Amino acid sequence: MSEKISRRDFLKLASVGAATTAVLTGCGPASRYVQREPYSKMPEYTYNGLSTYYATTCRECAAGCGIIVRTMQGRALKVEENPNHPVNRGKTCARGQVALEGLYNPNRVRGPIQHTRGEALYNAEFENAEPNLTWDEAIQVVADALVSPERTAFLMGTASDHLFDLVSDLAADTGAPAPIRFSAGSLFDGQATLSRVAEDLFGQPALPFFDIGNSDLVLSFGANFLETWLSPVAYNRAYAQMRRGNPDRRGYFIQFEPRMSQTAAKADEWVPIQPGTEGQVALVIGRLVAEAKGGDMPLAFANVDLEAITSELGIDREILENIAQHVVDAESPIAIPGGAVLGQSNGLQTAQAVMALNALSNNFGKAGGVLLSPLAPNQDAYHRPASAQEMADLIRRMNSGDVTKLLIHGVNPIFELPKSLGFAEALANVGTVISFATFADETAVAADYVFPDRHGLESWGYQQVATGTSQSALSGSQPVVTGVYQRDSSEILYNARSTADILISAAKLAGETAAQALPYNDEVEYIQSKLTNLVGQADGSFTAPEINSFSAHFQQNGGWWRNTADLEAPAAVDVLGSDLQVQAAEFAGEGEFFFLPFVSPTLGEAGANKPWLQELADPTTTVMWNTWVEINPETAHELEIEDDDVIRIVSEAGTVEASVYKYPGIRPDTIAMPFGQGHTAYGIYAQGRGVNPADLIGEHFNEAGDLVFAGMKVNIEKTGKKRELARMEGKLGVYGFIEEK
Amino acid sequence: MATVAQPLASPDIDEHEDPRQFLMHDPLPRGQMNDMVMESMHTTSPIFWVVVIALVLIVLFTLGYEWYVLIMQGQGRAGVTRPDYWGVFLVNTVFWIGISHAGTFISAILRVLKVESRRPFTRAAELMTTFGLVQAGLSIFMHLGRVWLVYWMFPLPNQRTIWPDFHSPLMWDLMAITTYLLCSTMYLFLPLIPDLAMARDRTQGGWLKHFYKILALGFRGTEGEWKNLTTAMNIFAFAIIPVMFSVHTIVSWDFAMATRPGWNSTVFGPYFVVGALHSGMAAVAIVLFLLRSTMLHYKYFIRAEHFNTIGMLMLLVSMAWAYFYFNDYLVPWYGGDVWDKLFQEYAEKGPKAYLWYTMLICNIAVPWLLLWNKKWRETPWLLAIAGILINVGMYLERYIIIPVGVTINRMPFTWRQYEPRIEIPMTIGTFALFLLLYMLASRVIPLIPVWEVQEGQEAHMLRKVGKAHVSTLSDLE
Amino acid sequence: MATELGMPGTNQVEEGPVGVWGMVIDQDLCTGCQACVAACSMENNVAVVGEEDAGYGRYMHWIRIERLWESTEYPKVKMTPFQPMLCQHCHNAPCEPVCPVYASVHSLSQDLNLQVYNRCVGTRYCGNNCPYQVRSFNWLDYQDERIHPELVTLHNHMNPDVTVRRRGVMEKCTFCIQRIHKAEDKAKSEGREIEDGEFTTACAAACPANAITFGRLDDPESEINQRAEANQSRAYHALEEIRTMPRITYLKGGV
Repeated sequence: MSEKISRRDFLKLASVGAATTAVLTGCGPASRYVQREPYSKMPEYTYNGLSTYYATTCRECAAGCGIIVRTMQGRALKVEENPNHPVNRGKTCARGQVALEGLYNPNRVRGPIQHTRGEALYNAEFENAEPNLTWDEAIQVVADALVSPERTAFLMGTASDHLFDLVSDLAADTGAPAPIRFSAGSLFDGQATLSRVAEDLFGQPALPFFDIGNSDLVLSFGANFLETWLSPVAYNRAYAQMRRGNPDRRGYFIQFEPRMSQTAAKADEWVPIQPGTEGQVALVIGRLVAEAKGGDMPLAFANVDLEAITSELGIDREILENIAQHVVDAESPIAIPGGAVLGQSNGLQTAQAVMALNALSNNFGKAGGVLLSPLAPNQDAYHRPASAQEMADLIRRMNSGDVTKLLIHGVNPIFELPKSLGFAEALANVGTVISFATFADETAVAADYVFPDRHGLESWGYQQVATGTSQSALSGSQPVVTGVYQRDSSEILYNARSTADILISAAKLAGETAAQALPYNDEVEYIQSKLTNLVGQADGSFTAPEINSFSAHFQQNGGWWRNTADLEAPAAVDVLGSDLQVQAAEFAGEGEFFFLPFVSPTLGEAGANKPWLQELADPTTTVMWNTWVEINPETAHELEIEDDDVIRIVSEAGTVEASVYKYPGIRPDTIAMPFGQGHTAYGIYAQGRGVNPADLIGEHFNEAGDLVFAGMKVNIEKTGKKRELARMEGKLGVYGFIEEK
Repeated sequence: MATVAQPLASPDIDEHEDPRQFLMHDPLPRGQMNDMVMESMHTTSPIFWVVVIALVLIVLFTLGYEWYVLIMQGQGRAGVTRPDYWGVFLVNTVFWIGISHAGTFISAILRVLKVESRRPFTRAAELMTTFGLVQAGLSIFMHLGRVWLVYWMFPLPNQRTIWPDFHSPLMWDLMAITTYLLCSTMYLFLPLIPDLAMARDRTQGGWLKHFYKILALGFRGTEGEWKNLTTAMNIFAFAIIPVMFSVHTIVSWDFAMATRPGWNSTVFGPYFVVGALHSGMAAVAIVLFLLRSTMLHYKYFIRAEHFNTIGMLMLLVSMAWAYFYFNDYLVPWYGGDVWDKLFQEYAEKGPKAYLWYTMLICNIAVPWLLLWNKKWRETPWLLAIAGILINVGMYLERYIIIPVGVTINRMPFTWRQYEPRIEIPMTIGTFALFLLLYMLASRVIPLIPVWEVQEGQEAHMLRKVGKAHVSTLSDLE
Repeated sequence: MATELGMPGTNQVEEGPVGVWGMVIDQDLCTGCQACVAACSMENNVAVVGEEDAGYGRYMHWIRIERLWESTEYPKVKMTPFQPMLCQHCHNAPCEPVCPVYASVHSLSQDLNLQVYNRCVGTRYCGNNCPYQVRSFNWLDYQDERIHPELVTLHNHMNPDVTVRRRGVMEKCTFCIQRIHKAEDKAKSEGREIEDGEFTTACAAACPANAITFGRLDDPESEINQRAEANQSRAYHALEEIRTMPRITYLKGGV
């Protein structure tokens, strides 16, 4: 066994170089028996009044941006930016900035709880349920779940990757089914479709990397890359680069989307085409471009009937011709399929058609074009989050009794999956449900046990960067604080424990096979085992002679990445030579309006419990603290609907009620609603606020297995109620104060 | 002290008309007039006390409890927000200062201009000034975010050796209003001395006698004392006129010196002064009607002719006021500033447009329809109704300038309409306090300056006998 | 340029390196993502007011992203470019002369508009007079833990360098003056001037599109001066015509 060294001691062994950066050095795995000290007992290297900065990785979404957190006297004060990190290069998004309100949230799970399913974990006065188990008892429960784990299922989120790797290792060695990871973000990003189109075209199920920064013409088909799509900070930066990075030219940007999203608002042209027709429009443009360029007409566009499509879709041919001319004139045009476009029944075909445009512009593997995101340094193969279809498979297994124990971490499927998939009902057929949620979310409330994981900012780990940078990157996490303590004592307030540590300890109690699957003392030892292969590798952001100092530098720098771009020029299948067919999109339901849910750019999928995210104004509507439904003002006028009227929206899958926002930037036949609110648990700030548009989405999948979340047709009913939306904008100024008759 | 009286406002007394309908031609022995005043002071009906108790309760609730809540919880209990940083409390301030101008106008300007019909109601008007200023002061305090630190606005010696900032129009306000309060209180007090002396002489004992004794300053009515008093009053009469004009001009500069469109206009000075006169005259009409109806014997003192005078003044001022509305349309039109135009457009066509049109009706249409007719002007209740409507209109006018107008600025993204919250009970409280103070004052202070009435009556009874002027009114004591 | 107001009776004390601070905001790059808003609020302990008050206009944001509609005629709908609006630190600040108690004053050494919280009595004249309407007033005790006990845990992340304001006090963007002071102290102790890019405001630091840049206006080589120079055709000041002489240069977007 190893000695117990308190955190203070081994930090003392660190060489504290620059005054502003502290190093968590290691002397080996033995030093990792971290003993928590409250902030009344500070490490000797801290000076009163001077801050200590720790590099870690943001876990508010799966992008894996590197951050440096300013701490003082054991409290995390501010999320700042890691300027060297290849994904975000010293910048953060709003969700990253407000991550501290998750760490210090008044509604977290206070400790291990044995729980009755459905029982609330906090009350209206923000008081949280008392823990009623010890950690040893909790570990024993997990250990029981790991014995004969053929029917134990692991359901995880998209952060953190080190836990996923650990569980994968555990599952592989003990015969448990491989873990599944899922998030609403990946659902709304259309990641399954993107990976599939990359696999079809380039032979690798990687996420494509769209090099907008070096492009001078961006055609985005529904990809709201400035909001939450894939890697928002990286794409925001790339957008800026596209616009003003080159002093000789200003990039031109066209967005095809039924609704003027924040991304579309920044476009030079917003082309509001009917949902589901993006693929056909792409083919038309391809045809026009091919014609303008002269030469042989590629097979992909040969059968495009221009007249039929433009008249059917009601698009002005001249607009498309102008766009085609832009493409021809551009030096490095790029076309991007994303967002709701992928969430259609014809999403995969549309993606292929858009990729055909890229092929036509011959930009695969070039600067300003489409490349493949590199594997992370310690990754063998690409893995992507589960598609909705794969989640449906899991649910089927749960319903058929194939899953007796379910361990859930980092994802809130009851909220993030549409109700129509029936996850909540399927839980009834699972014997034991263990949640490792940090916050008392809906899935934790439906679980038998809640063994809270530490918050991302209190955790060790690494994140394999899936996309957003041209460099192969592994982003590191370390605790920036030892925990959250009571106000006036040295008692810990949130007695969380790292799930990786729990699994490692539980595995030792779960029999020979399990114990051998995870032969580590703790989480940090596991992480180091995964870093060992990187020691001595060339072309890295730093080098170190052996694992301990490598590990120390890894923490100090916030990760390890290759210095040079690692993007492969994808070996593309001859997409131009194939006969592309884009069928018309199928819509479910008999309704009159196309329904377009989109992830709230301020809340993201999991931000509703942080008050500052709630109080951020949505960029396009400026609404705060609520859900709204966007309706074209003309349509509203015809239906005699006014702002703040509560209307009922009915799809084949469900019903929600929301207040109306008359939004000029949306098609008259489409209504839109942000995703992020509508919680029934997840803390007082989140609960009972707004509605969840996922309730309206039915169980339909496209060819790649992605949920057809933009493929519902809905009806509207007036309820006669009014509920005022909290807008930051002054309606009188923005929309005028003279009553229209 | 013989004075040669100027003719009354309507000098031609028809042969068929009974001259005794005019107060100045209907003298009574002074002793009798004094008795009447004293008697009306001491006669109260049960209704009087019911009303007083009701007012006390209202004041305790609104200005006691509600204000306590406002201070302890913060200005958020009021309806103010961004961009409507100022709301009804400022409206109240301006409104009450406006009301207070009536007193000074009547007792100073009318005195200087030797308008005889002012004589019986100068004090009633001056009391309005004092009590109106009290309400204005309270309203200013109500709107402060940290009112317990208001003394920082006063140039008191302090440890940080900081003066208040005299660049700020609020400081000019402070000095102007304080000056006005002091001066008008002095000016209220001076003509009050003889009446206090009279009351002292007619009061038997108790605390009231003590009260009169102290305040009467030992006035005995000697020739020398009267001479000093008259000199002092004349000085004040002339001195307080510029104070009166400047006070409301300075208050208007709170708005005119701001950069906000619609406020930033040089017309605000005369605009506010004339507006003050408008609402003040109208308030005097209401007060006179109430006094005449409720106080014993006051029908002798306050007659149709006085209402006629007030009515004519109201009509005159309303015409001046109409120019300012014309100016409201004119300036944005020829100035062409887009924000000024929007300000005006918002008032006329925005969600609060009904206030604008109500205001025009109350302020212009009402006086122009009702006040041309002499018979109507002489009808007290009609004039009182006109007065109420005009005051409603003037309150709306300030409401449109401040809480409605403040919606418009150069950042349309912020435009939001103000909705009053706790200001409503607190405004009612200021009105209740005003009435309460007035009603209590009417028990203690003789509201008619009998000596002035007597002086006027005597002057009207002078006849020229040979080269001398002889009073045909016996100098009864 | 920093000017001296020449108030009688004061000693003019030179306090270390003098820096005239300013910003350049490129509206073509701003994507409206609200990262700057979130960063500013976390750095400066800005209060959350809740749905009802926020909807009534009482949001405490020191910086907000504005947008208007250039055209609402479908399908030719156009939004105006996103505009971050924050205290412009005007050289001719209209908010300064109207405060009766000198709570809104101009800093001599940094040419910033300062809000002195402990002097403010809450007349809100400054808020009225600001043409940009960027001043936030503490209408209620939004941060008082006795009224909102759930804030006890959340307040762990408060920045100790920034005062927490109580009710009745006006507040606004300070150009992260706590960071300016730290940099000034450091530079002074090392006997040098502050270098351009040595530190920056929270909003400029967070902005993923690099739309907000902060630096010294009195240094011709500073990044903001270079940016303004390179984009002169797009540069303008907000509400230039009323001559407040703000320290922030905007670069027009969409052109």
